[in-house]
Amino acid sequence: MSDYVYVTYIYTTPQKVWDAITKPEFARRYWVHCNVSDWKPGSRWEHRHGDDSGKVLIDGTVVESDPPRRLVITWTRPDKSKTPSRVTFDIADYAPGLTCLTVTHDQLEHDDAMAASISGGWPKVLSNLKSLLETGKTENIWLTKGKEG
Amino acid sequence: MSGNSFIYVTYIRAAQQKVWDALTKPEFQKQYWFGGHQESTWRKGAEWKMFMPQHGLTDSGEILESDPPNRVVIKWRNEFRPNLKAEGYARCVMELTQEDDLTKLTVTHTIDKENSEFIQAVSGGWPRILSSLQSYLETGRAHGDTRSVSEGAHT
Repeated sequence: MSDYVYVTYIYTTPQKVWDAITKPEFARRYWVHCNVSDWKPGSRWEHRHGDDSGKVLIDGTVVESDPPRRLVITWTRPDKSKTPSRVTFDIADYAPGLTCLTVTHDQLEHDDAMAASISGGWPKVLSNLKSLLETGKTENIWLTKGKEG
Repeated sequence: MSGNSFIYVTYIRAAQQKVWDALTKPEFQKQYWFGGHQESTWRKGAEWKMFMPQHGLTDSGEILESDPPNRVVIKWRNEFRPNLKAEGYARCVMELTQEDDLTKLTVTHTIDKENSEFIQAVSGGWPRILSSLQSYLETGRAHGDTRSVSEGAHT
């Protein structure tokens, strides 16, 4: 399985993209889930369901953190049944007012089911993020017709 | 797959017919495709040509399948960069499905050549074009990027 890469261009600032990924109250609005950490290198992070259960869906370690430009995290099943994969967020100024977000999800060779799941999930999450930042509107992406990622 | 295929999926808050029209009608294309447009009847067997403002004809081919507003398949060859033209025809599939208030758009571009420069080029172009399309349909404001698609990463 090759690396998964998704690039999107959003009318917003790098700081808002960074906040959208790292602040739970922001992420819940478009991801439904949220990401919790102090975002310092070496710290633990958790990808939690956004509901009251706060169930941990994915966890891992912060590998690199350079707000608001770059964040690298390991992506681990909570039961540790598979070798972790890795997610890199690169956030760059592209043109005046336009920010380029590149999400690279790699090291997936030990987890085909995760590779299939994230390739369905990232387009939903990142399209919804773009809609939120540009229009203020979102969908509950895990309830629309289609597979949960 | 090693460098012979590119897939991009996006979810756009618009009716499926609007997304189809934006993909196939020149007056809409010019709004978000960095000034470029395409000419075709979009019927099976029809000619298909793409034009960019600074280059004229950039790509050409034929409509292989057409099922408005659900699916279109284009036989697609670059016409103005010799190294890309030499790779021959690629195949571009655009599939649209309505999912509640969203339209899911999947663009799959494939060529029968490993480590294709053409696929590398469109891999840079499609995210810019389809992000611009999403902004255009959701906000009315496409990406007014001064870097031309054809000079940048697209074919």
